[in-house]
Amino acid sequence: MRMRLQTALLFLAPALLLYSLIVIYPTLNGLYLSFTNSTGSARGATFIGLTNYERMVRDVSGFLKPLGTTLIYAALVTVGQTVIGLGLALWMGQLPRLRDAARVALFTPGMLSLIIVGFVWSFIYNPLSGGLNLLLTSVGLESWTRSWLGERGFALPAVVLVNVWMYAGHSAAIFLANYLSIPSELLESATLEGASGWQRFWYIEFPLLAPALTINTALTLIGGLRVFELPFVMTRGGPGDATKVLNLEIFNQAFGQGNYGYGSALTVALLLIILALTLVQNTYLRSRELNT
Amino acid sequence: MNAVQSPPTREANSRRRPIPWVTLLSAFGLIVTTVVYLLPVGYMLLTSVKSSLEIAVNPLGLPHTLNFENYIDVFNRMNYLRAVLNTVFITAVSSIGIVLVSALAAYPLARVQTRWSSAVYQYFSFGLMVPSFVVIIPLYSLMRSVGLLNTYVGLILIYIAFNIPFAVFFFTSFIRSLPKELEEAGLIDGCTPITVFWYIVLPLLRPVIGTVTMFITLSIWNDFLLPLVFLFDANSRTIMVNVYSFLGYYGFNPTTLFPAAVLGSLPLLVFFFFLQRQIIAGITAGSVKG
Repeated sequence: MRMRLQTALLFLAPALLLYSLIVIYPTLNGLYLSFTNSTGSARGATFIGLTNYERMVRDVSGFLKPLGTTLIYAALVTVGQTVIGLGLALWMGQLPRLRDAARVALFTPGMLSLIIVGFVWSFIYNPLSGGLNLLLTSVGLESWTRSWLGERGFALPAVVLVNVWMYAGHSAAIFLANYLSIPSELLESATLEGASGWQRFWYIEFPLLAPALTINTALTLIGGLRVFELPFVMTRGGPGDATKVLNLEIFNQAFGQGNYGYGSALTVALLLIILALTLVQNTYLRSRELNT
Repeated sequence: MNAVQSPPTREANSRRRPIPWVTLLSAFGLIVTTVVYLLPVGYMLLTSVKSSLEIAVNPLGLPHTLNFENYIDVFNRMNYLRAVLNTVFITAVSSIGIVLVSALAAYPLARVQTRWSSAVYQYFSFGLMVPSFVVIIPLYSLMRSVGLLNTYVGLILIYIAFNIPFAVFFFTSFIRSLPKELEEAGLIDGCTPITVFWYIVLPLLRPVIGTVTMFITLSIWNDFLLPLVFLFDANSRTIMVNVYSFLGYYGFNPTTLFPAAVLGSLPLLVFFFFLQRQIIAGITAGSVKG
């Protein structure tokens, strides 16, 4: 179909204008800010070259440690959510009559907001009146009770658990959609040939679930690296800096201390890390898909 | 995704034969697992209707009496209705804006295949990768300097712009799948491209407009960071910022925490209850194309 350039531009103009002004311009501006000492004040900012980045790679408490925490968090969420999601999906796949109801039920926590889930679980983890300790006490496991968000070794896994709880149902739904698209003859013939349940899973189902595995790990990894709301509500990064992820530090640098320049440098670093990890992960998992 | 059902013959067989006990055991296990999985949600609902006395005496059991006083109290103190209306207003205006602006842009991108049109498409898809934190700091200064900080217009424009990449992506691939003949007939009959778009293309986009609007509703309702930074005035706050600032003061008092949590989640849970099939299909669709 022919369409004159002017007409096409007329159609594109509103989207191009808004998108360029509100997404692209600030992104480039953020890149520029990361080379300045901007504090957002009217006095303007001085170009200071790579100083922010030099400071960053030596900044243990404000960058390296939070980066490590973010990576651990993302890794734990990715593994936890994928394993649990896969298990639930295969389980639901075996039981056609329960499938739809179970899928909706498991999906529900992900419909709640991170803010609300954060508050509710903070209360559940509360050492004195929280539901978890009361539950443990009532089943005779009083020695297991603790201040879940108050102890260094437990706070991060406790937040990870909440994240996995919220979204494992999403992962399961994606795996299940993939599982149901596998031709049933394939699974039946494997059973007829005498494959055990484990063999069937490892040699047939798991390889055929590669597309769902790729998308699930990509989604959870990126989501995990961008984590903000749950630790913001539940721990504020504490105890100490046990749950201080990169986005908490960025928020604090920019909106707490007004260090726009350094804060922007941190966001650029996070963006580059996300891009690099996604690239590596995609290349690896896509090649795995092709091999099967 | 729900298309795969067991063929009728298998159903008939299973009715004649008794269900194997392994399957029964597995089904029982799945039911128990699902119930345990939803315990925190149940805990939230049950605790929200307990009085403070009952929470102290009977923290885990079923409530003996339903107590809605906490709800009334929270409803009024949180300025709940105002926050819900704010969110509904922002969601509605943003959705209309996103759909119109993105469908307009997607039309030439889907129908014109030249080097510049694919360059524009690439330019839009770049936005899918940029995390909001990268944009927020400079955007804050920008909004402040043009006087749109802390205004509905400012936040709505941000939502429209942030959602353009994904909506353009959706609309473009959908328009490409539509036959061109209708539009060509329209042009021959003397319509202008704009009237063709308005009367022929836009009505055909209805199903995908539904999906896009659903995604926007889900993401705006539960969004926190953008309204926290860009719309903080007590009267214009959205629901999640409202819940956050309310619970920031009273957070660990269960008689305010749980009713506020339920009130904050309720509208979206109702939405999910009625549209569960579409929502689950929408979120999982596209992710698996084996």
